Amino acid sequence: MKSDSPKGREYWKSLDHPAETPEFQEFLHREFPQGASELNELNDPVSRRSFLSLMGASIAMAGLAGCRRPVEKIIPYVVAPEEIIPGVPNYYATTMPFMGNAFGLIVESHEGRPTKIEGNPDHPATLGRSNTFIQGSILDLYDPDRSKAVLHEGRQSSWNDFVTFWRNLYDKYAQDRGRGLAILVEPFSSPTLSRLAHLFRTTFPEARWAAYEPLGNENEYTGVRLATGLNLQPIYHFDKAEVILSLDSDFVYAGSDNIRNAKGFIDGRRVSSERDGMNRLYMIESSFSNTGALADHRLRIPSALVGAFAAALALELQAQGVVIRDNGVLGPFSRHEFDRDWIRILAADLIRARGKSLVIAGGDQPAPVHALVHVMNSALGNIGNAVAFHEISDSELSSIESLKTLVDDVKSKRITTLAILGGNPIYNAPADLNFAEALKEIEHTIHLSSHVDETSGAVEWHVPMAHYLESWGDARSIHGAISVIQPLIAPLYGGAGSVEVLSLLTTGSDARGYDIVRETWQKIISNGDFETEWRRVLHDGLLKGIASPAVNAPIDEASVFAQIGSSPFNRELPTRDNLEIAFRPSLTIYDGRFANNAWLQELPDFQTKISWDNVALMSPATAKQLGLNNSDIAALEYRGRKLEAPIWILPGHADNSVTLHLGYGRKFGGRVADDVGFNAYLLRVSSAPCFDRGLTIAGTGQTYKIVTTQNHHSMEGRPIIREATLEHYREHPAFANEGHEIPPLYTLASNHKISEQYQWGMAIDLNVCIGCNACTVACQSENNIPVVGKEQVGRGREMHWIRVDRYFNGDLADPEIVHQPVPCMHCENAPCEEVCPVTASLHDHEGLNLQVYNRCIGTRYCSNNCPYKVRRFNFFNYTSKTPESAKMVFNPDVTVRSRGVMEKCTYCLQRINAAKITARSESRTVRDGEFTTACAQACPTEAIVFGNVADPESRASKMKMQNRNYGMLAEYNTKPRTTYLARLRNPNPLLEEFEKKQA
Amino acid sequence: MAQIFPVWTNKIPVYIAAGTIILVLAIVGFFWYYGSPWYTDVGYRPAQPVRYSHKLHAGDLGIDCRYCHYDVEVSAVANIPPTQICMNCHKTIGTDNERLLPVRESWSSGVPIQWVRVHQLPDFAYFDHSAHLRAGVGCVSCHGNVANMEIVELKKPLSMGWCLDCHRNPDTQLRPRNEITNMNWTPPADQVQFARKVRSENNIAPPEDCSGCHR
Repeated sequence: MKSDSPKGREYWKSLDHPAETPEFQEFLHREFPQGASELNELNDPVSRRSFLSLMGASIAMAGLAGCRRPVEKIIPYVVAPEEIIPGVPNYYATTMPFMGNAFGLIVESHEGRPTKIEGNPDHPATLGRSNTFIQGSILDLYDPDRSKAVLHEGRQSSWNDFVTFWRNLYDKYAQDRGRGLAILVEPFSSPTLSRLAHLFRTTFPEARWAAYEPLGNENEYTGVRLATGLNLQPIYHFDKAEVILSLDSDFVYAGSDNIRNAKGFIDGRRVSSERDGMNRLYMIESSFSNTGALADHRLRIPSALVGAFAAALALELQAQGVVIRDNGVLGPFSRHEFDRDWIRILAADLIRARGKSLVIAGGDQPAPVHALVHVMNSALGNIGNAVAFHEISDSELSSIESLKTLVDDVKSKRITTLAILGGNPIYNAPADLNFAEALKEIEHTIHLSSHVDETSGAVEWHVPMAHYLESWGDARSIHGAISVIQPLIAPLYGGAGSVEVLSLLTTGSDARGYDIVRETWQKIISNGDFETEWRRVLHDGLLKGIASPAVNAPIDEASVFAQIGSSPFNRELPTRDNLEIAFRPSLTIYDGRFANNAWLQELPDFQTKISWDNVALMSPATAKQLGLNNSDIAALEYRGRKLEAPIWILPGHADNSVTLHLGYGRKFGGRVADDVGFNAYLLRVSSAPCFDRGLTIAGTGQTYKIVTTQNHHSMEGRPIIREATLEHYREHPAFANEGHEIPPLYTLASNHKISEQYQWGMAIDLNVCIGCNACTVACQSENNIPVVGKEQVGRGREMHWIRVDRYFNGDLADPEIVHQPVPCMHCENAPCEEVCPVTASLHDHEGLNLQVYNRCIGTRYCSNNCPYKVRRFNFFNYTSKTPESAKMVFNPDVTVRSRGVMEKCTYCLQRINAAKITARSESRTVRDGEFTTACAQACPTEAIVFGNVADPESRASKMKMQNRNYGMLAEYNTKPRTTYLARLRNPNPLLEEFEKKQA
Repeated sequence: MAQIFPVWTNKIPVYIAAGTIILVLAIVGFFWYYGSPWYTDVGYRPAQPVRYSHKLHAGDLGIDCRYCHYDVEVSAVANIPPTQICMNCHKTIGTDNERLLPVRESWSSGVPIQWVRVHQLPDFAYFDHSAHLRAGVGCVSCHGNVANMEIVELKKPLSMGWCLDCHRNPDTQLRPRNEITNMNWTPPADQVQFARKVRSENNIAPPEDCSGCHR
């Protein structure tokens, strides 16, 4: 597919696309793929014909019974709560503890029922933004599969019985100073939990304490400790960096500070005219991450070689005059596999931006790589600028070592009682520890978890855990901001919070979470009246003015290089018979904790666009070598452990390396989670939790049905993405529209009536989009968008109103990736409107392209005629399958659509109307930025800007006035209201020239 | 040879033809009417769990609508009063009145009274009370003279065509904001001039787009 952008780039969506396979052609040319209109649901043998005959009969039977309208009841309160006005949502501040960080949130509540989550603008970890996990977490609250009762040996028991049980044991352990008692917690960062943990250790000094989660940031902290000798939190200020080198770090999406990092990084790339500058990102990685997709230069190497790359770079920096005292340790790394010129040019660029550059290592890289990165940052003068170290307090960090010690103690029968607070170790502990077997050795086991999961089935006591939106607690962000976790609803299924359970275990008495948290805060709030300040904290969502201080920690080069010298980085390349295996969190369900979340399960992976499955990712060359193809089931063998998994080819993946996503293959995860994908934890061992070599792969000859949305909604062969280098942009500021003639419009239709006050429009800056999908989940949450399931996604029926298209461009082995969010374009001259026989698709005065559900008769002509493929058809009554409890997440301001109607993005019409009504009640017009659409509000980088384009001063208008602004397929004279700002890259001219010479 | 069919059978085709025509017309007419906006529930007057009289409270005693439906000016929905509101007065008045038995029961047990909805819009229509009141549309415009009703009755069709009649020409329905709950307010002679003045002052332009009510 040719485009007219400066390089004449070729953009392709999948491997099938450049190969023009029949399957791809089929998807391209049929608006609804084969069988899309056949009425067979998964297990439903009713065909369209038999359906019609059945319908004929039932119409006759139904007869006149349906004439009367159903009688509806109105049930008022007996005593009305003061703060609730029926029909008017309330907003509360709370906090989501996740990834060892605290995410400050504002949650919308309708009559006491939380329905939508947004970031808290005052909170340093969210800055008013959010991500897919935060958006999706509200659905977990209403998960009907959550555990509903305390279980004792699998039988229903009660909280009081559990309290009695513990009181009996408590005295014994208190006397024995805790000998034989062990506790396994999920890592936390919370003043109250930290206080209780301290109390626990003083009450039971001989008790064993372990903290484990499968994706803890252990390497990062160990690396800092190695470099500085202290336990410190590295905080990155990407906005202060001009040149950034990421060593396998997916910092815009995967790290614990992902929202702030993404925003900071993007702020350094945001361009409003050709006079602005951009930072430059070099990416070294094995798999293709979101950060890799943003890179200006990307080098794909196996994860195991990243350390060697860092060492080679350090040597090169040294050679170019940067003072790094390595005591000769780096010497051997002068002979390496990497391109010398690449490293030379990179080092020169880092040195050029001395003090304004930034090197960051990924959480998967071992501690010495992190330590070496800190040495380089220190030598380049970046510490104190783009990198800062801050004190850590109130934190319990993940440690595989502590889990190992615990299991050893259990095996030597030193543990009689084990309490597991959160987490699911039988499912996700390293396979070599054999946690399930170990658990059988213990007399009393307690497990606090949200579901009756793999671990709960093997313990004596299972206690249901309350969701963070229904229990009290507190949390400290990695920046030191402390906030209260304020429940919005009483526990739906009677669960207890981790605060309450830890308090019970520690003190032996049953206290309310509220009192426990307030006790901690009595000490935190020292000035002023406690009640006033406490209420202020609850209102603001955090205690303002508190941040952990930056520490000036000198880097101890000697010990870093002593460590590297004693265990040098691997320099051997993986081979076909000795492949690299790398474990990554799932981009959608993380470590498996969101596995029962249907929104996140259906969300396509950002790179592969696979939904409802995980795969073994490899490069095209490796797959060819192994004789494997997409969807082939392969037998993986690693350290004597075997697993069968489907293969998927990801262009741009490092050769001879295989990436597995964790979190799938659950057995007791719930109705959504169970038996989706394969469980990669079965191959993960404690000595190599992130990556290792020694994997062998053989084909099994079988194939597996993988569903991917990558070819869906294709807009064949048209210049959809416009992209240039910063240099080209400076020479041709109008490149985005050069060569794209919009012919004059001859129309028979009279123009729409136009409101002068409001004209809604949207601008999407492709240059700052990180492809994170937060918009898709936010839209799903706001607009009651149904989940359709794997089988239906396979037929191209996913319902997402805003999708993020992923295009590859360039070389098959080493392409670039561009992401493009695509909502409805709200064309002023909309093709869908002209073909609707019942005027269900029409325009309003404010420029919205409306879809009137109660008019729609489901001809699907509109979708056929839509060049953007943004209309979604309800082939079934998808929401009818929604469990009762999950219906509580529905937004009452948006119609729930039924079978047989078309739907699509409305620009969050409910929000527009609410803002207009509020403005009118205050006798003014709607102010710019007063409200925005759900996608724009969630976007961590403000790539989506929505507003009134009739107002030339609005942000959306100003975005549209930029010279990079272009309308997608505007040459068809659709006059789209959603426009795009062309993508820019900022490659190093020296390196580009060099890469060109090589090619 | 005797005739096989008696004479009267000659009329059978006529009967069949006439019957078919009548049947077809009946079916068409049935759907024509019952499936159309002309068929509404006007006159719907269900029995309520409490024999509450709006006539007594709002009419004879002159209690303002907003004493009970207090959220009507700030919310899209006009709230149905909680039991507490009834008990504000009925703790001391009519304490042994049999009609109030369900109210007292609700108050002591904490179980809400289940009222039967009279004014029912489809779920895909989003009506906002507060916006209409602010514009100066009186309660009586949509609900009829509730102060005269012993039992609340649906007086207006509440169909889309009926809504649009007013949205296209709101001049007859606007009144000063302080008269909104007045059931007996009569429009002045210069109603149209008054309405036009209010509309331009407060920028009242009722939406006629689908997006005004359907989301």
